[in-house]
Amino acid sequence: MSSDINVTVASFIDRLKRRQIYGSYQVSLETLQLLKRFVSAARWTNINDLISQLRALGSRLAKAQPTEFTCGNIIRRVLALIRDEVEEEIASAMVQNNAEPMISSMFSLLQKPVATPSQRSVEHPKADIRQVIIQGIKDLIDEIANIDDGIQQIAIDLIHDREILLTPTPDSKTVLKFLIKARERNNRDFTVLVSEGFPNNTHVAHQFAKKLSEHGIETTVIPDTAVFALMSRVGKVIIGAKTVFTNGGTISSTAGVSSVCECAREFKTPVFAVAGLYKLSPLYPFDIEKFVEVGGSQRVLPTMENDRVGNHNRLDTVNPIADYVPPENIDIYITNIGGFAPSFIYRVVWDNYKQQDVNLEAN
Amino acid sequence: MAGKKGKTPKKSVGGGKKPEVVQDERLQAIVLTDSFETRFMPLTAVKPRCLLPLANVPLIEYTLEFLAKAGASEVYLVCASHADQVSAYIETSKWNMPWSPFRVSTIMSLESRSVGDAMRDLDNRGVITGDFILVSGDLVTNMEFDKALEFHRKKKAEDKDHIVTMCLSKASQFYRTRCHEPAAFILDKSNNRCLYYQDIPLASSKHKTSLAIDPELLEDVDEFTLRNDLIDCHVDICSPLVPAIFQENFDYQYLRRDFVKGVLTSDLLKKSIYSFITDEYAARVESWQTYDAISQDFIARWCYPMVLNTNLLDDQTYSYESEHIYKEKDVVLAQSCKIGKRTAIGSGSKIGEGTKIQNSVIGRNCYIGENIIIRDSFIWDNTVIGAKSLIEHSLVASGVKIGSNVILNDGCVIGFNVMVDDNMEIPMGTRISETPVRKKATQFSDSASYEDDETAKQDESTKVISPAYELVGTDGVGYVYDSDKAEDDDDASVIDVVTNSLTYKFDDLYLSDDSISSTAGKRKKKRSMSTNSIYTDREGDDYEDDEEDEEDFAVEAIATVERAMENNHDLDTALLELNTLRMSINVSYHEVRSATVVALLRRVYHFIATQTLGAKDAVQKVFSQWGMMFQRQAFDQEEFVDLSNLLLEKVVAQGFEKPEFILFSALTCLYDLDILDEDAVYTWWDQVSQEEKYSQAKTLTAKWIEWLKTADEESSEEESEESESE
Repeated sequence: MSSDINVTVASFIDRLKRRQIYGSYQVSLETLQLLKRFVSAARWTNINDLISQLRALGSRLAKAQPTEFTCGNIIRRVLALIRDEVEEEIASAMVQNNAEPMISSMFSLLQKPVATPSQRSVEHPKADIRQVIIQGIKDLIDEIANIDDGIQQIAIDLIHDREILLTPTPDSKTVLKFLIKARERNNRDFTVLVSEGFPNNTHVAHQFAKKLSEHGIETTVIPDTAVFALMSRVGKVIIGAKTVFTNGGTISSTAGVSSVCECAREFKTPVFAVAGLYKLSPLYPFDIEKFVEVGGSQRVLPTMENDRVGNHNRLDTVNPIADYVPPENIDIYITNIGGFAPSFIYRVVWDNYKQQDVNLEAN
Repeated sequence: MAGKKGKTPKKSVGGGKKPEVVQDERLQAIVLTDSFETRFMPLTAVKPRCLLPLANVPLIEYTLEFLAKAGASEVYLVCASHADQVSAYIETSKWNMPWSPFRVSTIMSLESRSVGDAMRDLDNRGVITGDFILVSGDLVTNMEFDKALEFHRKKKAEDKDHIVTMCLSKASQFYRTRCHEPAAFILDKSNNRCLYYQDIPLASSKHKTSLAIDPELLEDVDEFTLRNDLIDCHVDICSPLVPAIFQENFDYQYLRRDFVKGVLTSDLLKKSIYSFITDEYAARVESWQTYDAISQDFIARWCYPMVLNTNLLDDQTYSYESEHIYKEKDVVLAQSCKIGKRTAIGSGSKIGEGTKIQNSVIGRNCYIGENIIIRDSFIWDNTVIGAKSLIEHSLVASGVKIGSNVILNDGCVIGFNVMVDDNMEIPMGTRISETPVRKKATQFSDSASYEDDETAKQDESTKVISPAYELVGTDGVGYVYDSDKAEDDDDASVIDVVTNSLTYKFDDLYLSDDSISSTAGKRKKKRSMSTNSIYTDREGDDYEDDEEDEEDFAVEAIATVERAMENNHDLDTALLELNTLRMSINVSYHEVRSATVVALLRRVYHFIATQTLGAKDAVQKVFSQWGMMFQRQAFDQEEFVDLSNLLLEKVVAQGFEKPEFILFSALTCLYDLDILDEDAVYTWWDQVSQEEKYSQAKTLTAKWIEWLKTADEESSEEESEESESE
């Protein structure tokens, strides 16, 4: 591998660590750009070579920022794409093989039948497969860039007139566009309650509410504590997902979403989660604690008011910046390819990923 | 000097919009890796402060990480003490890799003894091209630097004289990381321009004083705020003028106390300094207390997004668990051990059965035995701690071996590779190092008296420091380090004790300051370093430039002296100007003397030529008035001889009608002024040049010297007679 691409990868990892790239949308696009360069620079003798190189890259990226799942998702998508391509070739090779007249010899019975197709793929011109992969990555970029359109198509039918909606994830751009589209296309008249998301998202929430109101949507900002009290009046809860796991659970980008969803269940209010396809992850949330990132304490207590003097420092702060919502608290996922029940997510996941790429580290 | 001044208008014109885009691309940063202090002794005798680990990451990493985030493109590390270690570290670090976000290079500034010296050195090297960030190598911050930079640029566009933006962060009264150089800032309320700066002593100090503010400073200000609640983390955005100002004011040592105050109170400079106040976390590791505080804050995620589990070093594998526990992989924990909150454990460490650890940082490959209690402590890499020990609020450096049943009380610092025997108890606040550390040589910096160890041992042969067997046990290795500053005044020692100690008992003492009026005073930091010698030492460093410089210098210096004589300046002013010139061009005193001699002789020549005065009177007049200058230009025998030689040479070169007369008068005049003494004259005469062209000039002087000698003999004879008669 050329040193040039190594430098690119290392600086990408550094930027990821430093959070100069953040947010799943930006991360996914940047990862795809990186992959494009990686694939065009990579040298391989066998297609399995490339796959293992990509897996190694994937595990490096995942380690750099363990709670940023999008990197892993994207790499797994690309890996699935390559594997599909390989399979297709094998299939066509098999067809050719079958077409050949069988040599009736005892020797051929002792040969490993698998060897033939993989040899076949080596014979296949490399530039060709490289081109195919890069085209696949370009398609993925297109898909992600236009993800909101797909979601909006579905969104429109879901919001009714004079409905009250609640969203606890004001940092989700998908949710914002979704609501604005619903207002503009259908000219529906509805109210949005925005929970404040103290302490990490307060500012974002205010901006979000302002934007909605600018588009003629009636908007109310409510403190997080008022969610339960107001839930009886809410018609739908709309949340933006950061990552969706195979079990249908989701990591949201804001803390406090879980309790909102819990409230919603109490009142039998439907919960809609909007997520682009690239947010679906083939991982299973065994250890939720590991997946929930803990942010800075300074947000909870104003930075320099930390008066823990001497050995009587009993005061402590914990500030999770994400939240895990279990699948039973979500009614439907709205993705760019349609709406799915949480219990159906695993099907969608296996349409897009390969089982053998779930764990990138194992060989 | 003229060249430097030429930059000024260009700079301020560049305050417009377009040139800044260019600057944007190349943001330079200067990191002062040396703190020029001794607070971290005895550890800093072995390792520079910026490489000491804080939460298992060398301090410098935090600063570099900050710079990477700030978007610096060139980073210069100014190294003084342990420069080799710093540069070796940087060479192998990720910052030297091709994917590093900036180009990092080290500047060896070994002679620097203060921030001022480092800045002057920088100026001499001419690496600064545009606005730059000046930080110290022990900064921990998650400050969003973009905002500060934006503020700086905005202010610069508004105010052409803007040279420095100081980034300060707000603190509450009792905040732990409040720095040890408390200061009052007077800021213009409308635009945060800093009007006045005064350092104030710690609340615990015995000196109390008030702030004296020159009313002139507040003249055009509508409203101002006076604040002493700001943590000064020494992040400055400076214009290239700053090193030049240091150069011109060669007595500036400290960035704040000398430079900021000097610039603000100076009538000549007319420069302004702004302060950018942020709410974000920013602090410097400048003493044991701040080390303790910042480490805990870092572990408790106050500096997010810079946290331990982002794994600043490439080979780190920290993961986060609830209650702020961080563990690297390959940590072996016994089943019954208890890891309390706010703890970090490095890879390869083993914790034995029944051990309790809380609020502590454990390094890599440590072996911690059974039934140990570790609270609020810092255990660095590769240490071994025996069973049933108790470590409370102490620091144990790398490679230390502590036996079983040892008790480390509050505030102990155990230096590198110390061995403590079984069953020992080390009293509160003790500092132990592996080898005895000489104190005198380390007064000015964290610097290494280490290489002087041999000499140190010899020096101290009179008062040999014996290993502290009563503390480390008979099989132990270790010497007590006590920063006895008994020779200093009380105040300094109070500051020292307060700021230097890790122990809790000082916390309250140090942190309470009720009102600004109760705090003040003068700081008794040692400032006696001679800038002069440092500069003369540097002669010949860059030889080619020197020659050119010398010529420039001669012309300028002669002009300076002549101007002084014509306008009848006072002697001090003339000397100050000369000295400034000398500093800026970096020449030795020889050139200064030569220039002065030439200037004086020209004056004499002028008087004689215009027939205003006779030869003797002219010499008398000029030399008696201005001869005193030599007193501050020549200091030892050799230099006096040099001076006399110069006189001879220049008198001949000037082409006087009666050179012998001029030389004689000048020498007698200097002799009368007590600048030249007999010994100097004799030594000179003994080795004086015998060349033909000087012979005429020497005639009268020869007689004079003979006379002097006889007079001397007579007087000594008289003396001896007297003593005999007694």
